[in-house]
Amino acid sequence: MSKLIKNAVNFFGVQQLLRLGADVKQNGGIIKSIKKLYRMDSIKAGRLVGQDKYGNKYYENPHFFFGRNRWVEYAEYKNLEYDATQVPAEWFGWLHYRTDAPPYADIAKLQTKKYKWMMDHSENATGTKDAYFPYSTVNAKFTAWDPKKK
Amino acid sequence: MLRVPLTRAVLAQSQRAGVLATSKRMQSKAPEKVEVFIDDQPVMVLPGTTVLQAAAQVGIEIPRFCYHERLAVAGNCRMCLVEVEKSPKPVAACAMPVMKGWRIKTNSEMTRRAREGVMEFLLANHPLDCPICDQGGECDLQDQAMSFGSDRSRFTDIDHAGKRAVEDKDIGPLIKTTMTRCIHCTRCIRFASEVAGVDDLGTTGRGNDMQVGTYVEKLFLSEISGNVIDLCPVGALTNKPYSFVARPWEIRRIDSIDVLDALGSNITVNTRTGEVLRILPRENEDINEEWLSDKSRFACDGLKRQRLITPMLRKPDGELEAVEWETALIGVAQAVKNAGSKVAAVAGSFVDAEQLVAVKDLLNRLGSELLCTEQKFPTSDGLSGIDFRSNYLLNSSIAACEDADLVLLVGTNPRYEAPLLNTRLRKGYVHKELDVAVIGPQIDLSYRHEHLGSNASIIQDIVSGKHPFAKRLKSAKRPLIIVGANALSRNDGKAFLSSLHSFANQLKPENSDWKVWNVLQTNASQVAALDIGYKPGVDEVIAAGPKVLFLLGADNEAINKDNIPKDCFVVYLGHHGDNGAPLSHAILPGAAYTEKQATYVNTEGRAQQTLIAITPPGMAREDWKIIRALSEVIGTSLPYDNLDEIRDRLEDIAPHLVRYGRLEENNFFAQAEQLAKSQSVAFQGEIDVKQKSLADFYMTDSITRASPTMAKCVQAIKKGQGRAYTY
Amino acid sequence: MALAIKRISSIPKQQLAALSVPLTKKYQIRGNATQVSAPPPQTKTKFGNLSDQDRIFTNLYGRHDWRLKGALKRGDWYKTKEILEKGVDWILNEMKASGLRGRGGAGFPTGMKWSFMNKPSDGRPKYLVVNADEGEPGTCKDREIMRHDPHKLIEGCLIAGRAMGARAAYIYIRGEFYNEASNMQIAIAEAYQAGLIGKNACNSGYDFDVFMHRGAGAYICGEETALIESLEGKQGKPRLKPPFPADVGVFGCPTTVSNVETVAVAPTICRRGGVWFASFGRTRNSGTKLFNISGHVNNPCTVEEEMSIPLKELIERHCGGVRGGWDNLLGIIPGGSSTPIIPKDVCSEAIMDFDGLVACQTSLGTAAIIVMDKSTDVIKAIARLIAFYKHESCGQCTPCREGVSWMNKVMTRFVTGNARPEEIDMLWEVSKQIEGHSICALGDGAAWPVQGLIRHFRPEIENRMKEFKKREALEN
Repeated sequence: MSKLIKNAVNFFGVQQLLRLGADVKQNGGIIKSIKKLYRMDSIKAGRLVGQDKYGNKYYENPHFFFGRNRWVEYAEYKNLEYDATQVPAEWFGWLHYRTDAPPYADIAKLQTKKYKWMMDHSENATGTKDAYFPYSTVNAKFTAWDPKKK
Repeated sequence: MLRVPLTRAVLAQSQRAGVLATSKRMQSKAPEKVEVFIDDQPVMVLPGTTVLQAAAQVGIEIPRFCYHERLAVAGNCRMCLVEVEKSPKPVAACAMPVMKGWRIKTNSEMTRRAREGVMEFLLANHPLDCPICDQGGECDLQDQAMSFGSDRSRFTDIDHAGKRAVEDKDIGPLIKTTMTRCIHCTRCIRFASEVAGVDDLGTTGRGNDMQVGTYVEKLFLSEISGNVIDLCPVGALTNKPYSFVARPWEIRRIDSIDVLDALGSNITVNTRTGEVLRILPRENEDINEEWLSDKSRFACDGLKRQRLITPMLRKPDGELEAVEWETALIGVAQAVKNAGSKVAAVAGSFVDAEQLVAVKDLLNRLGSELLCTEQKFPTSDGLSGIDFRSNYLLNSSIAACEDADLVLLVGTNPRYEAPLLNTRLRKGYVHKELDVAVIGPQIDLSYRHEHLGSNASIIQDIVSGKHPFAKRLKSAKRPLIIVGANALSRNDGKAFLSSLHSFANQLKPENSDWKVWNVLQTNASQVAALDIGYKPGVDEVIAAGPKVLFLLGADNEAINKDNIPKDCFVVYLGHHGDNGAPLSHAILPGAAYTEKQATYVNTEGRAQQTLIAITPPGMAREDWKIIRALSEVIGTSLPYDNLDEIRDRLEDIAPHLVRYGRLEENNFFAQAEQLAKSQSVAFQGEIDVKQKSLADFYMTDSITRASPTMAKCVQAIKKGQGRAYTY
Repeated sequence: MALAIKRISSIPKQQLAALSVPLTKKYQIRGNATQVSAPPPQTKTKFGNLSDQDRIFTNLYGRHDWRLKGALKRGDWYKTKEILEKGVDWILNEMKASGLRGRGGAGFPTGMKWSFMNKPSDGRPKYLVVNADEGEPGTCKDREIMRHDPHKLIEGCLIAGRAMGARAAYIYIRGEFYNEASNMQIAIAEAYQAGLIGKNACNSGYDFDVFMHRGAGAYICGEETALIESLEGKQGKPRLKPPFPADVGVFGCPTTVSNVETVAVAPTICRRGGVWFASFGRTRNSGTKLFNISGHVNNPCTVEEEMSIPLKELIERHCGGVRGGWDNLLGIIPGGSSTPIIPKDVCSEAIMDFDGLVACQTSLGTAAIIVMDKSTDVIKAIARLIAFYKHESCGQCTPCREGVSWMNKVMTRFVTGNARPEEIDMLWEVSKQIEGHSICALGDGAAWPVQGLIRHFRPEIENRMKEFKKREALEN
């Protein structure tokens, strides 16, 4: 009987609906879920593994297949202006399966000394006014006449 | 090595011998052609044709290094060796005249082995520095090594004796030498002694230690020295200002016309990324053959300095301030509107015909006729010296100058005013029977000439037949009288024009089409301006007291601080901030000759056009378009919107202006003389020329004055004057 | 390239067109002349042992007075006027009949060469230039003439000049020949004073001047066109031919350049008859000749002998044989440094005349015989000659300038053996690339000694390389 119910549940996708419900719940309600869908094209929910100092949150949900089971939700204040270079180096490893230990649990990382000269992570500034432009080494092709110079 | 005097003697003699021979053979027959076979292709050639020329007639090019068609045959590179059937040794194609029935094989085993051998020998001592050599990519040695050389080296150097190394020579700021690369073709030596007439270059030492150079440490002092760069088949002589700048395959080449003298030499402008890198001559048998004067070749860096790149208006405090086009045009239009018909224009030396026409149309519409050129030419009330073109042109044409047999130069130094006309005269002197006499200061023309004196009264003597030279002129078969434009711009220029012109018409040349009267202009724009109807000389304009004065690139100080009309709004339209711009209240930046498609008429009356090699810098625009825009702001729009339309207008005014490359026949000499005759004749004083020595040659106009290279040339010559082995 | 082709077709033709007409004519003359003078059949079979009364140069060793008085005693200037009065054709005929070939090395028939000058004049004067720039290593015949018999040369100039209608003769003498030049100058002065040359020379009504010009010591100035350039005051660099000097020579006028010996024998030929001269030597190689024998012989000498004398006989008769006997002979350079060396077995058969030595793949040249016995390092000897040619190359044309110095580098290594055997073939090819590709014959002259060496002494070169390898292996 129970098997029958189980089959029926599977057949009608009730489980998916149930999971949708759970996800919506975890996202904090329908409005927030819609907002998340708008921002990230996905409302999937998972276990919060950690948060970096920029406010990005890292999730894991083994329900999804490998490659999609770890993800980052960028900090709220970035709104739609997020991009992959906002992930700091220490989380990058976990996110890309180089390691399974998140930075706070990674012994090697914890033992690494923090030096003064180590720069803070910075995101790619391409396309913004902070973007780097190499200066020109080419001489000016023309020199203009200066009426003040006699 | 230098065989010019010999050549001269031999030629004179062989011409005589040739006459004898032909008269003996048969009075009526022209020299019979002989048949020879080049790679089994029959070809009929005149006796005396070399193997190389005969091969060229059937389109077979024989490789060569030392041979150059405009220089004497040296025959020393041996690259042109070809097999002739039944001859045990290969013959040097460049020097060997063909014999009847010869069967020449340009691609036989013997020929190819000979070429490969020569190539191997040349490379044995040639440095392997192609990657750092400026000739790379346009090097005859590279090309021919690819085509005719061996694919491997047999050279072993166990003792590490190395290749021949030769110290570089400092021969001036224009030519960079890397003498280790020299293959001793002696083209540069032959050019210097035959064409340039400067025996500065030669060989010293012998065998493998032979060196090409100046015998003592000195500069290569010639106004056409840059041509040895083109002649050098390797990278031994390269362009110093252009050194390490670009590779030939990076360059865009645009055919154009030179405007730095009045000859209109044909040039190729080499550009890369909107920058003129160098200027090379383009072949035109009628004008510059394949040479180019140093000023035209090396002054191109002046196009990048002192440029006007933005419109400017003079602020109330007296400073010129950069403004937008709109502001500038409105400012100028306001002044023009206020001036009514009291508007005038003065054309300088680089103004193109389109601009001249546009300015003239605009001023005429405003009711003004005050248009003039900076340079004077004799005119007087009613009877103008410029009514007939033949009065102010080099009527005989540049190419015909070498055929003359007696040339009288009056008040001109063609060596520096028109170097390539001077090479023509020198060519006639060296290879034909041309004699030159000069009235003016003592100058070095690079060939022997008779100096008649510098007092203008000598002209009076010649014209009246008192002077012995008059007799010679009268008996000459093809006499030429070449008068410098600067002599005619004197106050007694009228006397020059009327007396010499009528004297020229009295002479009876052998051929009635031969034109004796010639004027050598010095400005590229002068002929076009006079053709279009500008009046020569600024006096009339100043006297009229205009309220607005357009200076069209007028930088030669005909209008200067002292004579500029009072309360006059001066508009400078041009490309260089030189003498004209500081006088002006508004500056409208125009395009230089490399930056516009424009028409220029040279001193022989041949219209030619420049093409756009690069865009004008900054906000500068093509000049006629500025005038067109200004006319619209003023409210009297000119009726042409594009180049074709303005050229239609040019054609309406003077059809020859758009017949590019063609030389119009000049006539009405008698009528011109009649008009000129009524002038009173009064000579005064000594005749002088502006450019007497090489130091005077380099910086003469706004472009060359802005050119660092030209400044270096002047410095080098001044520095060298203290040394022991200069002039 | 298309541009270049276009350019070629519009070449200023005057540079060469002028030369073609006389040139064509000249070639015709050449063709006719060879047809006319068919060689008489060969009858004589034994040559050599010239008798004293048949010698032309009777004061070769300077035992008698060289000045005018002595010269008159020896028969110089005897009936010169009569010879001149017989006319141009007679002199040329005698010269042609004598079969005299140029003694400077190339061996061009003299009578024919002189007759090239007999074209109708175009107003230019003609000149005779005497090549006394005797620079070929091993050669010392002309200096003996100028030192001890200068009047023979002056008389020869007059007769040769008459034969070609020349206005004057220029004797271009080697700069190093100080004493010779001084004797020549004295002899010329004597001849002028005696009225033998100058205005109305020998009372024949013919004006003829003789000038002497001292060179500055370049070997290349012995080449006829380089000599002309040098005489004109320019760098001594050979001209291109055509135009040949007979068309455009010294100062742009028709010129014939002849060797001292050629000119000096002319008076005697005219006096004793061309047939007399032709009776010596084989057909086409007739006459007597000065031979200079130097090197490893017991008695080096300059001697006048009959042409076609066997080489061995010449050496044994006049030089007391090779040092250490004929079997001690290694090789002989038979005609001055530029001719290829021949080894002993070839020497035994060689006949000293133009054709005889060509048959041995060498050349008579100036007949300067350099004898080398077995003590000679033949590779080093040839290397030294190449060093000479490298030093004397004028540097004008590529094959000679670059090729000879390359050969010099390779030969220097061959001397020690520091080379690979393949390089022998390469050197052979390099010498072939020089030969016939240069403007003048100096390139050929530099290539031939190397070719002779490789042709006959290749095993020696290879052995030396092997020894060098062995030595090197031991040292390491």
